[in-house]
Amino acid sequence: MIELLMTVFSATFFVTVIRTTTPLLFATLGGLISDLSGALNVALEGMMLISALTAVIVSVYAPWYVAVLSGICAGAMLGAIMAFFHLRMKADIILVGFAVNILATGGTVFALSQATGGDKGTSINLQSKAVPAVNLSFLDAIPLIGPTLRSLLSGHSILSWLALFMVFAVWYFLYRTPYGLWLRGVGEYPAAPEAAGINVTKVRAWSLVASGAFAGIGGAQLAMFNYIGFTRDMTAGRGFIALGAVLLGARHPVGAMLAALLFGIFEALAVVMPNLFNWIPGEMIQTIPFVVTVLALILFSYRAQRARQMRTLTKI
Amino acid sequence: MSQNSPSRWAMIGRETGRALTAVVIALIVALVVILLTSADPGAAFQTLLTAPLSSNRTMGLWIDDVAKLTLTGLAFSLVFQARQFSMGVQGQVYMGGLFAALIAMSPIGATPMAIPVAMLAAMCAGAVYGFIPGYAKARFGASEIVSSLMLNYIAILIVNYLIRAHLAPQGTGQLATAKFPDTAIYPAILPGTRFDLGILVALVATFVVWFLLYRTNWGLKLRLVGHNPKFAEYSGIRSSFIMVSAMTVAGAFGGLLGSVFVQGRAFGNLAQNFDGNLAFEGILIAIVARSRPLAVPFVALAYGYLRQGAQLMGIRTDVPTEMISVVQAIIILLVASSFSLPGKKFFANLLGRKTTPAAAPEAAK
Repeated sequence: MIELLMTVFSATFFVTVIRTTTPLLFATLGGLISDLSGALNVALEGMMLISALTAVIVSVYAPWYVAVLSGICAGAMLGAIMAFFHLRMKADIILVGFAVNILATGGTVFALSQATGGDKGTSINLQSKAVPAVNLSFLDAIPLIGPTLRSLLSGHSILSWLALFMVFAVWYFLYRTPYGLWLRGVGEYPAAPEAAGINVTKVRAWSLVASGAFAGIGGAQLAMFNYIGFTRDMTAGRGFIALGAVLLGARHPVGAMLAALLFGIFEALAVVMPNLFNWIPGEMIQTIPFVVTVLALILFSYRAQRARQMRTLTKI
Repeated sequence: MSQNSPSRWAMIGRETGRALTAVVIALIVALVVILLTSADPGAAFQTLLTAPLSSNRTMGLWIDDVAKLTLTGLAFSLVFQARQFSMGVQGQVYMGGLFAALIAMSPIGATPMAIPVAMLAAMCAGAVYGFIPGYAKARFGASEIVSSLMLNYIAILIVNYLIRAHLAPQGTGQLATAKFPDTAIYPAILPGTRFDLGILVALVATFVVWFLLYRTNWGLKLRLVGHNPKFAEYSGIRSSFIMVSAMTVAGAFGGLLGSVFVQGRAFGNLAQNFDGNLAFEGILIAIVARSRPLAVPFVALAYGYLRQGAQLMGIRTDVPTEMISVVQAIIILLVASSFSLPGKKFFANLLGRKTTPAAAPEAAK
């Protein structure tokens, strides 16, 4: 137990948490935007998977930022496809989302075997690149707290810093710009923005595209920093966990960040625990993020339900 | 709503036409993908379309898939009819498979009671596993999509662990249990093929689901909740009870599929990751069948053919099996969306007078 506590309060664990949280946070922000516009994006998982593979394959031939951008574009394009089928063709968003997921599970394996010449498991024989880590070793110069600060803040992916900035950017967009107001209005009560002359369909379509783009960065971070290279089904439910994080984060960017951080911590625990407790079977440790998601979801929904009941009671 | 009213046949015709158009479009895309990637596209495409009929053995494989696809399609249809998007069939299959395997490997497995008891155990396990997300939604308001998906991952990990650490023969490093005793494996209907009891189970299940949905009080309430939950609530139906019970019953069918998997002649044991993502393909079956239980076996027959063709294409040619996911996604997208048949206007004009009055009772349903 002591060892676990020692590990959890070490700087390396903090770095691991940030690493596991970043893809989740991007996906959660993506889920948040589409959820606020009134479309539950269940395809985050598939979008991340396809973007991860796109980023890996492009990074073989191009610098890392082009690869990340192509991952974003892949996600955004899937978002646009979803928007087309959901909004123009009137298909149910959840079914469209699962179509994307099904396409992703099989399609990535197909594309991977085409790209690697027959390997259906990993992209190990592709020379893919990584997202660079931000080196803040100059922090050492600060007296007293310098080394600690450096060990905490140095060595994160550029995209982790971008994620932090994006939480702020999404918050600013949603609550401080007219477009954000439109987006929330469309999700809350579409008739009102419609009456105000806002093109509801367009807002929804763009939010799905943005949602895909966020999931796309998440996928790129996963395959170009957390792991270098693509493995079959490497998202392993992260997109669905992100969906839970959207609900858990009370549909607010900061809440989304905290929820993603919570799941990131448990995922990081699942990463470090096998070294500490080799008597616990690996499979049981792997279930931790999923069990935590179910429990957190139930607890949070219960509290939200209670809060709603209290509100209606006080009204009477 | 009599069974043979013209509107019903018109609807069946319309839906079949839509599904067929979707399949044709999807196959054209598949052909393009094959042309781009294969060294011998002709052979690959021909294998995809004709291979399942090439021998008794492949036909057995096809029918075996049809049985499984029918069951997962039924499980999804039940929850979709109640407009619950519970995606937990995969988890239920693993739990059902686990309990069926436990029974088959226990002393009961060597007696003639093995098959019915194992099926029952699998159904109970699946029902419990379907009940959890339903209860979490009805009682706490937790989204059933997220919780059922999480439960899928948990079930797969638990089953994989139990197989690796406890159920597999010690010291062999195998990731599967030993073969069950013969009494616990479904008997073959045609000897030497995989044409086994599973297909009968699937057909009986189809009838049972149809009966539950269209001939019982519970089914009527379930469909009402699915169509218009507010109306159902106002008319005194306890929609949360219907919700939970629909997911539980669907879970039982998911569990039954687990039994069909592990006790079928294809496996006859419990292996890691045995479902090969088939459970999820029930979404496609349910969507194309418009969640109508009686349509499910027909859709499964057609889709199973395509699926088996893709498997054989993956084995016999240079195009990987996974190519079929493109076809799956396109079919779901097209069938779920309100695209219309080419030339629909022409037909509508032709049939205009016939369909308009007939559409009224359909709408009133």
